[in-house]
Amino acid sequence: MNRHLARCLARLRNLYAAKEADDDFQREIQAHLNFLEREYLRQGLNSAEAHRRARIACGGIEHTRQTHRDERTFLWLSQASQDLRHALRSMKRAPGFTFAAVLTLTLGIGANTAVFSVVNAVLLRPLGYPDPGRIVEVILASKGGEARGQSIPDFRFLLDRASSVQDITAYDFGQSEMGLTSGVPEQVRGIHVTSNYFRLFGAPFLLGRAFDSADDRFNGPKVIILSYALWKDRFGGNKSIVGEAISLDKQPYTVIGITAENFHSEPEAQLWIPFQFNPNSEDKLHSFAVAARIKPDMTLAQANAQLIAASESAKQLSEFPDPDFQFQLRGLRDAIVGEVRSPLLTLEGAVGFVLLIACANLTNLLLVRMTARRREFAIRAAIGAGRGRILRQLMVESLLLSLFGCTAGVILGILGVNVLLKIIPGNMPIIQKVNATVGLDWRVLVFAAGLSIMTSLVFAIVPALAVLRPKLTDALNENGSRQGLGIRTKWLHSLTVISEVGLSLILLIGAALLIRTFSLLNGVDPGFDSHHVLMMTMPMGTGRPESAVTLSVMVRNARQQLAGIPGVEASAASFSPPFASRMGLPFASISGASETSGDGDWLAASAGYFQVLKIPIERGRDFDSRDESGAPLVVMINDTMAKRYWPRHDAIGQQIVIGKGLGPKFEDKPRTIIGIFGDTRDDGLNQAPAPTMVIPDSQEPDGIIEIMSKFGPIWWMVRTRIEPHQLIPAVTEELRKVSGGRPVGNVRTMDEILARSIAEQRFNMLLLSIFALVALLLAAVGVYGVIAYSVAQRTHEIGVRMALGADRSSVRNMILREGLTKGTVGVICGTCAAFFFARLLAGLLFGVSSHDALVFTAVPLILEGVTAAAALIPARRAANFDPVRALRSE
Amino acid sequence: MRGSLECLVKKKRSAQVLQGTLDLIVLRTLATMGPQHAYQIAGRLQQLSDQSLELNQGTLYPALVRLEQYGWIKGTWGQTENKREAKFYELTRAGRRALEKETNQWRRMSSLVERLLIEGTRG
Repeated sequence: MNRHLARCLARLRNLYAAKEADDDFQREIQAHLNFLEREYLRQGLNSAEAHRRARIACGGIEHTRQTHRDERTFLWLSQASQDLRHALRSMKRAPGFTFAAVLTLTLGIGANTAVFSVVNAVLLRPLGYPDPGRIVEVILASKGGEARGQSIPDFRFLLDRASSVQDITAYDFGQSEMGLTSGVPEQVRGIHVTSNYFRLFGAPFLLGRAFDSADDRFNGPKVIILSYALWKDRFGGNKSIVGEAISLDKQPYTVIGITAENFHSEPEAQLWIPFQFNPNSEDKLHSFAVAARIKPDMTLAQANAQLIAASESAKQLSEFPDPDFQFQLRGLRDAIVGEVRSPLLTLEGAVGFVLLIACANLTNLLLVRMTARRREFAIRAAIGAGRGRILRQLMVESLLLSLFGCTAGVILGILGVNVLLKIIPGNMPIIQKVNATVGLDWRVLVFAAGLSIMTSLVFAIVPALAVLRPKLTDALNENGSRQGLGIRTKWLHSLTVISEVGLSLILLIGAALLIRTFSLLNGVDPGFDSHHVLMMTMPMGTGRPESAVTLSVMVRNARQQLAGIPGVEASAASFSPPFASRMGLPFASISGASETSGDGDWLAASAGYFQVLKIPIERGRDFDSRDESGAPLVVMINDTMAKRYWPRHDAIGQQIVIGKGLGPKFEDKPRTIIGIFGDTRDDGLNQAPAPTMVIPDSQEPDGIIEIMSKFGPIWWMVRTRIEPHQLIPAVTEELRKVSGGRPVGNVRTMDEILARSIAEQRFNMLLLSIFALVALLLAAVGVYGVIAYSVAQRTHEIGVRMALGADRSSVRNMILREGLTKGTVGVICGTCAAFFFARLLAGLLFGVSSHDALVFTAVPLILEGVTAAAALIPARRAANFDPVRALRSE
Repeated sequence: MRGSLECLVKKKRSAQVLQGTLDLIVLRTLATMGPQHAYQIAGRLQQLSDQSLELNQGTLYPALVRLEQYGWIKGTWGQTENKREAKFYELTRAGRRALEKETNQWRRMSSLVERLLIEGTRG
């Protein structure tokens, strides 16, 4: 064995056997001395002299013992374990400090780890597809904005001309509710795709095959691919199902494949069926998303440039399907994440502030503790500990604290993620399907480790500052502990308090703005009465669509049956009730009085729609039995539409053509406006009411029904006289019966749907408020700690002042002033910074300016008050000092 | 103050010169004399050097630890003829090999130094 290795091992062994080795050496050196002593005795010296001479000959025994120890073991290591034991002891001696430091760190790191886990899952972790960075979505952009929806002519154009991308695929951009009608009817989420879909996303298959181009044919074979989860849950993992037919919306579909367990589609789906649209269609309805893969030799920019060049040359020849728009390729993640990015980053920033405040607090705590221990260090220095040795011991203490805090923080973070997932709004993409794995991966771990190192630096630097300064004699001096801090640490104290107050003010202002936003949103009148309304969905079919006539007959029958249920006041059905996806359609007026054209939201609704939602009919009339499928076509519009397009004329009686220019399948015949209803906020409480047209379901064009039933289920809406949940069994049962066994699902009250629509704002508000409160608490503790400490340091001085005639109130005011000065500087700095940071929140606000005067006056005042309160406690304590005792105090 | 510092430096330097050679001397002593305890080794050292090596006997101990940890010597407690307790060190097989190697190295080194010094006096 190599001698150095052997020695290293022996030294390590001696770390544990220090006592035995010491004893052994003692025995050996004693034997040596005995030999020497005997030798001197033999030379004729008396025993005392022999003893003395033996010791001289041996040299300094203590010194030898030390060097012996040095040689036989790693001194620094044995000292480190000594330091560690010492650190644990000193932590035990100051449980309050230890608890405060560890708790601060735990909160800071825990909150950061939790929020970062979500950020990581949504924004950072690569999508689970091969080479996901090259998958792009095609967007249609214009000056007015952009849209994900594409039409068949768009798709055809891309297939022909987009040479920079491959595997071009059309798919639904939301899940469609489909009814699985084999056995017990059940609603499932499926999407329509073209055959390239599985190649584009590199989907692995457990059984069977993906769609091929034959499956894409117009009116092609009815085939279906099941997800692993659906196959397991619904079909018991029966392998022989491949090749068998199952019933979907009462149509037979042949199962041709099962995807592997680890494939999560975008959007999430339980089954896939081919689009099979007519490739030659001229319909300009933008009804699906298109994604593709950038060719291997291209960058995103090059691919985009190619596509734009192709579009431009087509526009010259008038061969471009959407002349007002421009194709644009966008990374898949950007397309999916969309609007969620900025609120998430805001939260991440806010939680980062919490950590900064925590660090400032730690600095304070440590400074106070270090100063309180100056005597201890001085004594240790006096009995021979080098400055380096003391510093090292402090570092060990600090690092131990930070180790405890960080470990607890990471654990809290992991637990925190689960809490976050419970309150996270449903629209947070990607999260849903990775719920199980949202927690730890290497990025989160690296992040947490980075935070820990950063905070540990605070722990390491502060004691260094404290130790490297004082002079030994000063600290040992009788006055030592009373002398207070040097200029440098005093300055550091002020700085930490000011930054704590400032940072927490920024968070408080952010939270206050979001709280105002949420309360304003909550107070918004949606324009309809959401109480006592039960909502539920029923998929209408992917294969053979219902015609307007059969559908309206079914709805009419169902409404009659529902009316018979005790407790039901009114009922209605529509594909697009408030907060469901809704079509926007162009229209043009054709009557002579005022020619106008524009776009508006569009929906078909059964009779009873306005009664169920209690939407007021402002003028004209509601739909009634006159508006049959054969009768003259009618439409109702909302107030906004009437005012915008017929500002000077009466809208009632005007005739419009809906779907003008969309091609024969969607272009409607002229309709007469028969009524104007009150505005409703159907796209969300924070969205202004859009111009809206409603037609009776009996007069719905078949082309639109086909699209609508493909997209989404029909919604049944029931106004109840009693608590709506009580009627769920009766209503769902009745609907199932009337529809001939279609599944009913997504049963919710309108109140729940409304609450869900502001879930995101609620989430942002909740989280930011929690962070701000933690920040406020930390800042208050910080101010209190520093002032209390300063009072303790100045006890003697205060005693002198009192002895010289200062009365209690002037002492109290002096201390209070110290706190208020720091607080005010912090508040002023914080307000200025908040003025800048609040602008970043602008996109999340509703009804309140990011520089809202109320918030910017009230919050700083509140914080000033909290600072004053925190300073008042030690100030009153100082005022109540007994001057005699204060003077005597050490 | 300065005086004592210089003194410290000097001491350290002489100790450094010693360290490499001390190992060799101890090994040689054990090879020649068989198992010895520390007092005997120290006596032998003094005898050989005619007192010119002014060595605290304690200085020997770190060297013994080092050699033992290298696995070159091995210490066992035993009794002298006078029934006195002492720790006897003896050369291990590895120690014997090491002695040979170190001796050769030392010879090469010293003859090199010798040559250089002779050249120095000539020039």
